[in-house]
Amino acid sequence: MGKLLRLIGQRLGLGLLTLLVVSVLIFFAVELLPGDLAEAVLGQAATEETVAAMRAQLGLDRPAPVRYLEWLAGAAVGDFGNSLVTGDRVSEAIGERLLNTLMLATYAALIAVPVSIVLGILVALLRNSLFDRVANVLTLTSISSPEFFLGYILILYLSVKTGWFPAIASQTADMSLGDYLYRTFLPALTLVLVVTAHMMRMTRAAIINLLASPYIEMARLKGVYPLKVIVRHALPNAWAPIINVVALNLAYLITGVVLVEVVFVYPGIGQLLVDAVAKRDFPIVQACCLIFAATFILLNLAADVGSILTNPRLRHPK
Amino acid sequence: MKSNPVKSNSLSRRAFLGTTAAGVAVAGLAPGALRAQHKRGGTFRIARGHGQTTDTLNPGTFDNQFMNGLVYAYGGFLTAVAADGSVIPDLAESWEASADAKVWRFKMRPGITFHSGRPVTPEDVVTSINFHRGDDSTSAAKPLLEAIEDISVDGNTVVFTLSAGNADFAFIGSDYHLPILPSKDGTMDWQSGDGAGPYRIVEFKPGVSATVERFENDWNSNRGFFDRIECLAVLDANARITSLVSGDVHAIDKLEPKTVGLMARNASINIHSVAGNQHYTFAMSTNKDPYTDRNIRLALKHAVNREEIVEKILFGYGYVGNDHPIGRGQQFFNSDLAQTPYDPDKAKFYLKQAGVDKLSVELSAADAAYPGAVDAAVLFQNSAKAAGIDLQVNRAPNDGYWSDVWMKEPFSAVYWSGRPVEDSMLTLAYSSGAEWNDTFWDNARFNELLVAARAEIDLDKRRAMYWEMQEILNQDGGVIIPMFANFIFATGPGVVVSDKFASNWDLDGERWWERWSFA
Amino acid sequence: MLVFVILYYGVLIAASCAAVYFKQTKAFRLLFSLTLISMVVGIVGGATGLRTIAIAAGILAAAVGVSYAFREFLVQLARPSLAKELRTAPLTAAFGMFVIFVYAVAAIFAPWIAPFGEAEVISSAFAPADDMMLLGADQLGRDMFSRLIYGARNTVGLALAATTLAFLLGAGTGLWAAVRGGRFDVFVGRVVDILMSVPSLIFALLTLSIFGTNLVVLVLVVAVIYAPRVFRLTRAVAGNVVVMDYIEAARLRGEGDWFLIRREILPNTTAPLNAEFGLEFCFVFLLMAGLSFLGLGIQPPTADWGSMVRENATLISFGEITPLIPAAAIALLTVAVNFVVDWMLFRASGLKEH
Repeated sequence: MGKLLRLIGQRLGLGLLTLLVVSVLIFFAVELLPGDLAEAVLGQAATEETVAAMRAQLGLDRPAPVRYLEWLAGAAVGDFGNSLVTGDRVSEAIGERLLNTLMLATYAALIAVPVSIVLGILVALLRNSLFDRVANVLTLTSISSPEFFLGYILILYLSVKTGWFPAIASQTADMSLGDYLYRTFLPALTLVLVVTAHMMRMTRAAIINLLASPYIEMARLKGVYPLKVIVRHALPNAWAPIINVVALNLAYLITGVVLVEVVFVYPGIGQLLVDAVAKRDFPIVQACCLIFAATFILLNLAADVGSILTNPRLRHPK
Repeated sequence: MKSNPVKSNSLSRRAFLGTTAAGVAVAGLAPGALRAQHKRGGTFRIARGHGQTTDTLNPGTFDNQFMNGLVYAYGGFLTAVAADGSVIPDLAESWEASADAKVWRFKMRPGITFHSGRPVTPEDVVTSINFHRGDDSTSAAKPLLEAIEDISVDGNTVVFTLSAGNADFAFIGSDYHLPILPSKDGTMDWQSGDGAGPYRIVEFKPGVSATVERFENDWNSNRGFFDRIECLAVLDANARITSLVSGDVHAIDKLEPKTVGLMARNASINIHSVAGNQHYTFAMSTNKDPYTDRNIRLALKHAVNREEIVEKILFGYGYVGNDHPIGRGQQFFNSDLAQTPYDPDKAKFYLKQAGVDKLSVELSAADAAYPGAVDAAVLFQNSAKAAGIDLQVNRAPNDGYWSDVWMKEPFSAVYWSGRPVEDSMLTLAYSSGAEWNDTFWDNARFNELLVAARAEIDLDKRRAMYWEMQEILNQDGGVIIPMFANFIFATGPGVVVSDKFASNWDLDGERWWERWSFA
Repeated sequence: MLVFVILYYGVLIAASCAAVYFKQTKAFRLLFSLTLISMVVGIVGGATGLRTIAIAAGILAAAVGVSYAFREFLVQLARPSLAKELRTAPLTAAFGMFVIFVYAVAAIFAPWIAPFGEAEVISSAFAPADDMMLLGADQLGRDMFSRLIYGARNTVGLALAATTLAFLLGAGTGLWAAVRGGRFDVFVGRVVDILMSVPSLIFALLTLSIFGTNLVVLVLVVAVIYAPRVFRLTRAVAGNVVVMDYIEAARLRGEGDWFLIRREILPNTTAPLNAEFGLEFCFVFLLMAGLSFLGLGIQPPTADWGSMVRENATLISFGEITPLIPAAAIALLTVAVNFVVDWMLFRASGLKEH
């Protein structure tokens, strides 16, 4: 266990370093993109004069490394600066939207992860049966079109035609949890459909891959029920790839859902990033990217720790 | 999803002279639309196709229709544009100009207050206008106010002194960048969201929604019929449509032409299509080869199938253009000018004149230029093939289209929302050296006529000049204007709209806030 | 109408009886349950419902028939050792191979199969299907069927190249990192964290502004976006294998990294990797369409399925099937590829069932 804690500590430390590298990369990526904040904000009303005035006001005329270091100095003490466009604190601009994104991701994940793992176990158990085929065809079909298209179809059938759910997941301040779950059901369902196939198929593959192993054969010859063989004997050794795919999809739920946000008019962090990139509003872009980076780092770490925990050989290396 | 930096936004609003000429407003398609008496009350919800998380209440930064509309609700302006396109009083109750149109005196309406209860003073006007001027101004309205030399207060009157006469100066007071806001510490206080418009802001969430309530002490009791308005930023066209169909909102804008026909099947929805002067163009840089050669330009103009483009990009919600920016409804539209047809043989003839057999050019387009720009370019490519022109379509990213592609690439798709007044449109985009002369066109005769026509009082002579200018553009200009597009928006049941829509902006000239009501 | 209903049940019941007579219990169960379902549907949905069932069953039967025949065909053509394997392939795998074969034919012979050019405007927008245009026209009046065929040519090859490259990169580094371990492992892992952290929007825009727009760049971008995911998976699976005793034994024998990867680890990690490949292959279509909307890679009027869905997606809200057709093309290929992958997975697992 001590070794594991050391690993987590080491990885968290490296995580900070990774964040630093990411922040440098993002800063210079935004710098390298053609056009800058002044041009983007002023749009077609940009004249040489107004652009120059705006650059001077926002300090964009100073060299890039200086600006980066200034930002870094602020970030080091927890001050991520103000949006260059609106002048709002970055934390204020991001706070509510980040919360929205996390809530929707949690909602979708709480449905998708158990469903796909249970489905994965079932199709591994009933492999090559009609159920296996149908479940696979349905989930594969659902990921074969862009997620916003899936959203349109769900809206058409579950909202416009039947009126069961609202088409727009608009938020009000005084919503109860039940209200929230009802109003955001369609976006959550869309996300569930998008991520289920991947996790389910990986569960299936990882389990089937082990079924011919001698120890499984042994269990089966001993007359253990097929379901028990899978859950007790195969699954524990199949966790590593499953956990990794789950982590990948959880990360997607947080970082990749801008189109779902747009389709359901859900104010999440994805749209904020898209707008900020369009305006080259560096502090916001940077903050969003760092949140995404932290998501990946933490989820990847969790997946690695999970892989180690589920494999005694990794837990107690020789 | 990208903001569409609408070009007409900022520059001269001198446009709205000649009121009768202001584009024909067709309330077509919706004979069932209510035209009853206006009734007060109710909460009106509207879903708009614009609005970004980077929006602020700083009027100098307004660059999309969400803010354009919102400011007309909460802000008071010196002047306003009526539905028929004429300029009418708003916070200024009257105005007069000196004989040379260099000195303008605006007399303020007495007894008007901001929403906070503070009276609106002439000093507020001075700080509000000065906010956009000066060397360190970053306002989009700065070029608009360049001619102002001095602003002073004379009792209850604000006096503007211009460096050169401008007969249409009163129109500038209605520009949506120029609301009169309260001043604080000698500068304009836009942060508070206070204003002197018919509605006051209750809540503003950038890129999400804006909620306003009727201002009880509005000076004009004949406008602003809703108690409360919720304006939502819904960027996805499908989401707008479903929210209207399901009764979630009462009105939506920016309908996609290709789905309008399908939407019209729903009898409870009124679809409004308003013809204005908004046009979509392909601009050739006449200072870059091969577009320096007039014959090449003419060949390309004859290689585009305009009818097909209007049919397939606008689905009929618009009309064919003739390579000049003057709309059919305008006063000086040249009705005798022959329409340039789609004629591959003629295009080949012009290529031969230019001394080439085969022409290969690249056309840059992105849907940021206008919805359907890439498809329009593909249609152009297809029709040009018959004329032996190899036109490559380059799909540019929406991101940064206006800063990196427009006026940088020699041949690109462009959106112009048009001006109801000929002079301003022609000056803006076709006079030599103009900031937005995106074809880099310089025609001596045209420039000469432009200046002369501006000063000409005799209507017939003036018409003759504008007609000639259109002909020169048609024959020599670097712009291909295949189509003029309508504004298309829709309202749900129970909404009373105007008898005649304004055509200067989308959604009834963005004055729906004060002109519409529930039945 | 009545004739259809009577015939429908007549045929079903007769077939069921025949199945019983010839002791085909499986076929009987299938046919008779179809009869029962039909009765329920017939009561609820009337003759239209029955017709739908009949058509669905017909399509399914045709698919089964084709798969069966195609498998026999392959068995006849293949070398004896391969033929033996093929004979054990389930019908779904045969169906998958058949679909892939059809797509490949469509892609290779596109100009000869497609009745019109991919950019050729031949009719009005959204013209309905007729004898000349099997699937109607798209928003510009181009033949949908021809564009689908050309779409296969333009996208499948690119998707294959991008996915393969992503797997070579990702799986290669993943295996290597698992074998080498230590600092190298940690270092590569963090690089991957960084690569995953950069949002693909920024990544794509940056690439576009530096390298411009061409297909090679598109393939590379897609590969770089997906390789980290493959790396994570490979590293996790290989990590479990590396600690096995037989690897220890091989190391003590003095085998090199390359040998370990090739002979010991790779064979034990193919199953999850195969499964991943089947899915990523489909994701790549959608990603490429997304990127081409950002201006990267495939330029109009070149037909690609992902963009064909995107361009007309809103029409689905009005019940128009135009965007469903390319979506179905992608779905069919995805299902087909994954059926084959399932079979390979089953073979690789060494299970001896059925």
